[in-house]
Amino acid sequence: MSVESTARKVLAGDRLSGEDALGLYVDAPTSLLGRLADTIRARKHPSGLVTYIIDRNVNYTNVCVARCSFCAFYRPVGADDGYVLGFEELFRKIDETLAVGGVQLLLQGGHNPDLPLEWYEELFGAIKARYPEFKLHALSPPELLHLSRLSQHPVPVVVDRLLQAGLDSVPGGGAEILVDRVRRRLHCDSKATADEWLSVMRAVHRAGLRSTATMMFGSVERLDERVEHLYRLRDLQDETGGFTAFIAWSYQPPNTELGGAEATGVDYLRTLALARIVLDNFDNVQASWVTQGGKVGQLSLTYGANDMGSVMIEENVVRAAGAEHCMDEAEIVRNIEDAGFVPKRRNMLYDVLGDPLFRSRAIPRRTELDVARATGDTTVPAELSRYPARSRSGKAQRAFDGS
Amino acid sequence: MVPMGEELAAVTGKIADGTALDEQDVRLLVGTRDLLALGTAADDARRRRHADRVSFVQVLDVPMDTAMVEEPLPDQAGEIRVTGRPESVAAAVSAVRAVVARAGAVPVTGFTLADLQGVSGHEAGRLGDALAELRDAGLAVVTEAVVEKLTNPEPVFEVLRESGLTLGCLTLGDAVGETAVPLLRRIATWDSVATVCRSVAPLSRVEPTPPTTGYSDLRQVALARLLVDNIDSIQVDWTRHGPKLAQVALTVGADDVDAVPAVWPDGLGQRRSPREEVRRNIVAAGFVAVRRNGCFEVLDSPDGAARE
Repeated sequence: MSVESTARKVLAGDRLSGEDALGLYVDAPTSLLGRLADTIRARKHPSGLVTYIIDRNVNYTNVCVARCSFCAFYRPVGADDGYVLGFEELFRKIDETLAVGGVQLLLQGGHNPDLPLEWYEELFGAIKARYPEFKLHALSPPELLHLSRLSQHPVPVVVDRLLQAGLDSVPGGGAEILVDRVRRRLHCDSKATADEWLSVMRAVHRAGLRSTATMMFGSVERLDERVEHLYRLRDLQDETGGFTAFIAWSYQPPNTELGGAEATGVDYLRTLALARIVLDNFDNVQASWVTQGGKVGQLSLTYGANDMGSVMIEENVVRAAGAEHCMDEAEIVRNIEDAGFVPKRRNMLYDVLGDPLFRSRAIPRRTELDVARATGDTTVPAELSRYPARSRSGKAQRAFDGS
Repeated sequence: MVPMGEELAAVTGKIADGTALDEQDVRLLVGTRDLLALGTAADDARRRRHADRVSFVQVLDVPMDTAMVEEPLPDQAGEIRVTGRPESVAAAVSAVRAVVARAGAVPVTGFTLADLQGVSGHEAGRLGDALAELRDAGLAVVTEAVVEKLTNPEPVFEVLRESGLTLGCLTLGDAVGETAVPLLRRIATWDSVATVCRSVAPLSRVEPTPPTTGYSDLRQVALARLLVDNIDSIQVDWTRHGPKLAQVALTVGADDVDAVPAVWPDGLGQRRSPREEVRRNIVAAGFVAVRRNGCFEVLDSPDGAARE
């Protein structure tokens, strides 16, 4: 089918086959892809609102056994600079988040064998006891699968126990590209195959939780595999309707084992636009300013995005790969308005919470994002000693703490 | 295919036909919030001039105060640019001589027109003498002229033309957004500019506070292509604006990438040479990459084979 015919199908609101989508992705001019995506965005969001959330992106541990070759953040078990954040550190981060109007933590971390399911339950329970209204958008599918394997409980049981402890929603991290050939090459098939990632999300949605969906592109995958990824997400969304939003970002090569070159800005905008076109059952598409920078992040609003993502406050994973962009609430709002949209704060469910907060109360400007911990801080949280360790170094640490 | 507003479509139709725009047309272009329509019209205009070719130049900056240092120059450079403000014509000439002696066949460029006017006492005759001395010393091109400082440009262009030198580009000093539009329109009224200058760099050399947005930058690039029809190239700066914005700008009217480093930058994470990186970005934007030198002479065929 010609690009023109495919474009007419998109404008008519018809669904595209994978072949149509690939043809459009490969052959359509960037301006046409943008125009089609923008048309769909305007249909779904005719009021011209562009949303964002004030939350904090916290990584509770960098210790990970998955060893994905594209990740610059993880540290192996026993590494000198491996860390686990303590409950008190997390409470302090929540206090700081609340002070700038934040409504949730996006809480993700490595697959740390020395953090059992009970640690998460106690943490979530403690947070909810202190901050009943504060939301926990936590634990991507590979982390839930890791906890299932560690605890020997089925994923639905793990999800249910975390839900009871205070889990509010699940981030869509760890999807990378949902094609096993790609996952094997990225050394991330052992943390979750494509089917496993999707089945965890299915369990999450069946438990009544909502989640986001993501895609990390530009590593080793082919264009047709990016398209396949989108169709796998679309199919699950048809089945469960549990995804609130789609977020794409480009692989960040610096400091990773895999290396290579980053996808270009035009690659990002084309991929974002195609996602908006294919994912016709997703209401919301986020811009990734943290990987693309503020300028291309803002241009995402012209290529299908209707959401500027999170203020973040803190970021560790992408920073480890060299990206150090920062946008505070005022900067996000300035960019939204400059592009001709109306900025609104939201929560994870995309309920509008109100107008920009910095206009009604004084909020200090922020020019860089915080990190999980200061360099050189090797504090081991006291509460860790309450949980059995699985790793040799973890057991040694526990024994040392107990002596 | 996907409709833009009828009025805007009529204006872009005029541009395609080569029909002069009237005031109302310009107001419509400047006032539209439809970046995609504006960008598409600018892309059409650039493709009529340059088809799918995007040129780039690898530049080695040599500050005035290090011009005398006898270090080897990188062989990737397509232009060696003397930077900084000279204290006198003699100092400028000495710096150019020193760099030319090491440059081989690579064109040596340098200075802003305003700085050369400054050391010439703002007299046309003395400027002409200074330009002739610089040309004789081996200067190939005056790097740039800042549009805001060109209050009466035609006589200056005449002096330039008589000297045998040309201008690398016209730049906007610190104009962004609405203040840039009148400057772009002024350039379009300069009848003789095309005889001495090949390109316009529409994005400000100075990042204002707060910084410009991606939207405003692309709009400025697109408007430059649509409003300035008497200059061949619209230029973006790889170093100053960064690969991502520079690349996206190619889709809304820019056709030339300036300031690609001639040497690998310091720091971790650089896995490709600057030449391969810029080529990759140009191709990923849907264009054919053409390496040029500081005199806008093509150095490579599009497939990368050297012409030297």
